[in-house]
Amino acid sequence: MLSVTGVRKSYGDVVALDGVDLDVPAGTLVAVLGPSGCGKTTLLRCVAGFEHIHSGRIDVDGRRVAGAGPHVPPHRRRVAVVPQEGALFPHLNVAANVAFGLDRAARRSGRVDEVLALVGLPGFGDRMPHQLSGGQQQRVAVARALAPRPPLVLLDEPFSALDAGLRADVRRDVRQALHTDGATALLVTHDQGEALSMADRVAVMNAGRIVQYGPPAAVYREPADPWVAGFVGEAVLLAATVDGTGAATALGRIALRGPAPAGLHTVLLRPEQLRISDNGGGVAATVVRHDFHGHDALVQLQLADGTRVTARVLDTTPPVVTGETVTVTVSGQAHTFPPRP
Amino acid sequence: MASAAAVGLALVPVAYLAVRTGEAGWTRIVDELFTRRVAVLAGRSLALAAVVTSACTAIGVGAAFLVTRTDLPARRFFGVVAALPLAVPTYVAGFAWISTVDRFEGFWPAALVLTLCSYPYVFLPVAAALAGGDPAQEEVSRSLGRGAWRTFASVTLRQVRPSIAAGALLVALYVLSDFGAVSIVRVDTFTRAIFTAFNVGFDRTGALVLSTVLVVLTVLLIGGELTTRARGARYARVGGAGRPPIRLPLRAARWPAAAALTAVAVLALGVPAASLARRLAEGVSRPGSLAEIATAAGNSLAVSLAGALLTMVLALPVGLLTARAPGPLATLLDRLTYVAHALPGVVIGLSLVFFGINVAYPLYQSVWLLALAYATLFLPLAVGAVAGAAAQSPPALEEVARSLGRGPAKVFRTVTLPLTLPGIAAGTALVFLTCMKELPATLLLRPTGMDTLATELWTHTSTASYAAAAPYAALLVGLAAVPTWFLSVRGGA
Amino acid sequence: MRYALLVTLRSVRIILPLALLAGAAAACGGDEFDSGDPGDKTITVYSGRSESLVAPVLEKFEQQSGMTVKVRYGSTAQMAAQIEEEGDKSPADIFFAQDAGALGAVAKRGLFAPLPSDVLAKVPANYQARSGEWVGVTGRSRVFAYNVDMVPRADLPKSVFDLTGPQWKDKVGVAPTNGSFQAFVTALRVQHGDAKAKEFLTGLKANGALIRESNIQIVQEINDGKLATGLVNHYYVFEQAKEKGITADQMKAKLHFFTGGDTGALVNVAGAGVLKKAATDPDAKALIDYLLSTEGQTYFANETFEYPLVAGVPTAPGLPALDSLAAPKIDLNDLDTLDETVKMIKEAGLA
Repeated sequence: MLSVTGVRKSYGDVVALDGVDLDVPAGTLVAVLGPSGCGKTTLLRCVAGFEHIHSGRIDVDGRRVAGAGPHVPPHRRRVAVVPQEGALFPHLNVAANVAFGLDRAARRSGRVDEVLALVGLPGFGDRMPHQLSGGQQQRVAVARALAPRPPLVLLDEPFSALDAGLRADVRRDVRQALHTDGATALLVTHDQGEALSMADRVAVMNAGRIVQYGPPAAVYREPADPWVAGFVGEAVLLAATVDGTGAATALGRIALRGPAPAGLHTVLLRPEQLRISDNGGGVAATVVRHDFHGHDALVQLQLADGTRVTARVLDTTPPVVTGETVTVTVSGQAHTFPPRP
Repeated sequence: MASAAAVGLALVPVAYLAVRTGEAGWTRIVDELFTRRVAVLAGRSLALAAVVTSACTAIGVGAAFLVTRTDLPARRFFGVVAALPLAVPTYVAGFAWISTVDRFEGFWPAALVLTLCSYPYVFLPVAAALAGGDPAQEEVSRSLGRGAWRTFASVTLRQVRPSIAAGALLVALYVLSDFGAVSIVRVDTFTRAIFTAFNVGFDRTGALVLSTVLVVLTVLLIGGELTTRARGARYARVGGAGRPPIRLPLRAARWPAAAALTAVAVLALGVPAASLARRLAEGVSRPGSLAEIATAAGNSLAVSLAGALLTMVLALPVGLLTARAPGPLATLLDRLTYVAHALPGVVIGLSLVFFGINVAYPLYQSVWLLALAYATLFLPLAVGAVAGAAAQSPPALEEVARSLGRGPAKVFRTVTLPLTLPGIAAGTALVFLTCMKELPATLLLRPTGMDTLATELWTHTSTASYAAAAPYAALLVGLAAVPTWFLSVRGGA
Repeated sequence: MRYALLVTLRSVRIILPLALLAGAAAACGGDEFDSGDPGDKTITVYSGRSESLVAPVLEKFEQQSGMTVKVRYGSTAQMAAQIEEEGDKSPADIFFAQDAGALGAVAKRGLFAPLPSDVLAKVPANYQARSGEWVGVTGRSRVFAYNVDMVPRADLPKSVFDLTGPQWKDKVGVAPTNGSFQAFVTALRVQHGDAKAKEFLTGLKANGALIRESNIQIVQEINDGKLATGLVNHYYVFEQAKEKGITADQMKAKLHFFTGGDTGALVNVAGAGVLKKAATDPDAKALIDYLLSTEGQTYFANETFEYPLVAGVPTAPGLPALDSLAAPKIDLNDLDTLDETVKMIKEAGLA
């Protein structure tokens, strides 16, 4: 549905997009995840047509919209945008906002009510934007983008202004709405939780390039490099000596997820793979810090050789005390990074 | 492109001055300019501008603060009254004062009249900024232990500094260009010298050579304002979500504050009104028929409207460019619109006579050329309003609209225009009322045989028929008060 | 940025029609355009004289001749500047000025056509251009105005030169930026030489002369007792009496005419010239003829209190007849060295 090939874009000396390739299949929600300044918003603006690209090409729904040949202006691309903070038209009511992209016939077809219901706001048509809460405004913005059934919807950090509790609800409902409507969407975000929970596929972006593109689970479990590993979640990186069947680390011998050449490697574990017990086997460690998160807690531990690792423990496990000595075991397999090209 | 064209038009008077000054030749220029008298006059003009600008800033900011940020009694009433002096032309005010107070002449009386007529240039933008400001920063300041008044002085005033600076610049340029008040109250300023040069010996060239000094002074003032702005940097306005501003209790000062505003109103509005009434009662001359007055009023409204709308058309590209694509180019174009603003109306008038005769003859002595002259004179007023209005329609909204399949023109009509229209309308109202008061350029450029309220007023006072002039003056002030009222109500005061 | 520009371009397209509409509305208020063709029964007059003084006489002319007169009013100086700026393309057929100096300035630029001899014959030769490019329509005498309560009749000056004496210290109002004062100074120079004129101006300044913007203001202040005396034109006292609804006799401000050919009693003119493009236009000539007719002259005599210049028309009641004045024998054509005069006035510190 969306195909981005070799797109480059720079502002003066600053390279914003350094050869980006990305394919978004029809009906999927793809998240572009990256730290601020990585170029993800530029990519979105190039796809929307607000910016011109310097090289490469962009196709939407099988049609060339940017690249060699004319630059298709934003209003002819049929790419709807949901910006940060919604950007509802303050002078129009909800129904008029949603109907903004519709022609006269479509307005009368009941599409407005349909998409408002889809985002969980049936009957809100007569309200003015300033009468809505932040979450409601965001839902309306999504409804407005969906209304004309565009081949592609772009969401630019649409939930960043919402408070945490609300954010989860809105995310879930928006994802649901997008799926129900069969929309193809590109979500730009710096929030790994948002990317992993909402998207069908995640493209991790850094310094103007897409460094990994795959399903959320794959990106989380098998990141392409240590940077991605750290960006998409808490990472436990250990120096390891790999032989035929496993790796020797400070946490003892750990099985590997796939075959890896023998030698010195860095291997990745996720904190939830580390188990703490106050007796039993495993490696001894000292509790350095304890960060309570409610449903779980992150416990930082120092191993005998000085290596620090983090374990995620559920609230149901017995409490640990800073300064105490515990033992750590590893469950599951470690990930080895593919060799650098 | 459109911006450059608009600015180019605004620079017609400067080009004209260059042509005529060039014709004068070096010796003549040196003779005219490098004299003690020129230095004295320039000094006095600058001093007058400095005094009036300071006084206007004090009164304008003070009144704006009282009206928007305190529990002043009858705040809404004062909000409107404080803006109304904008409707009084300086020549009417000056005339009222000299006929009310004996020996009312010289520097300080002129400063008084000019201050009373032009402090709304500061009051209006500052009141709007104070009413719309985000209270968050003030709350932070209060929470960090600064009292209400210290917070106002150290935080709030800084927030509205761009508005103060913009208003003060307009006042300063206005004082440089004013002829009405300074001639009536008899203080020798640069502009008066230019008019005198026209009158004395019908010396056009000398007058124009002198005018170049005003252009130089203007450029200096603009430069000065730019440096304060550079230091002040940009003030991000995080949407205050419509929270009302904090109001300070005046306590014992409530009534004295109301009395002070009343005093300003009496001086600025009461004195002219009383004087007009007295003139009407004392004299036996009467204005022409009601039909004549109505025609003059109709003409005033029509040419001012044409002028205001044309000014706005020219200001839109410059203002939007300043708001949307800020940078050295936008700043330069924006500032260039000010260059002609301090030139006396007669110079603007003659330059457009020159332009009309040599470039646009079909337009000569038509309403269009007059409207163009108004645009040249008052472009900065409109550009400021457009830039402010554009902030009401952030680019994100237009981008969303385009992504939903609407072309640029349709986006402008359905999104940008409705959102910026109130601001644009306010700017148009300001230019409109300023056009109504304008006299020298109107005299030179109006279609032959067309009278406006301002020209009728001039006609009758020049033959001492004050009673006949009074109704025109009253009508002029009354009609100009309508857009002023609109401005003050909109300012949120 | 490109987008912003695009948007602005569109915006202009939307607001421009509005402006056009307003302008069209304003244009409807204007009259039809003067084709400028000779004999089209339409003439355009640039009047440096006030509308309230001139409009009635022009209306009468329109009624009698069936012509349309389009008039542009402004100050004489401003009108002169405008005509000079317009040059050959000026829409004006006739320039009606308050002051011979302004007429001279326009004549000097070669913009006037010589008037027919039958027009010139109606007015004494010293009240018209030597080369016939303009003709005086009415006369205006310089006078010494004084407040009758503040200055005893016996103390009135014999000559304008007396005013530099100590008895007039801080008592004399002048309007040096006014054309008629300048004409008076030029006359001083012509009659008595530059040195004497300069001495007079410096003396006036040193004697504390009170500088005012206009003659009107001087007369008003004299009448109100705010100023003792002043050098003005004769008709202002009559104008203000009319505004107050009284006769000139009832005014506190009185006129004193200098005698014995003193320069202080210079008689200047308000006059008219025909621009080159209307040189052969019978309509333009008809208007000049009307201004110099008995009816036109009588109008000015009675309504503007000026001196008729055409023989046989009486002056306004209360005003001494023109030929009874002992005006200085000065040819107005000799008053064309305004530059020098202006320089002198400036140097004396009066402007």
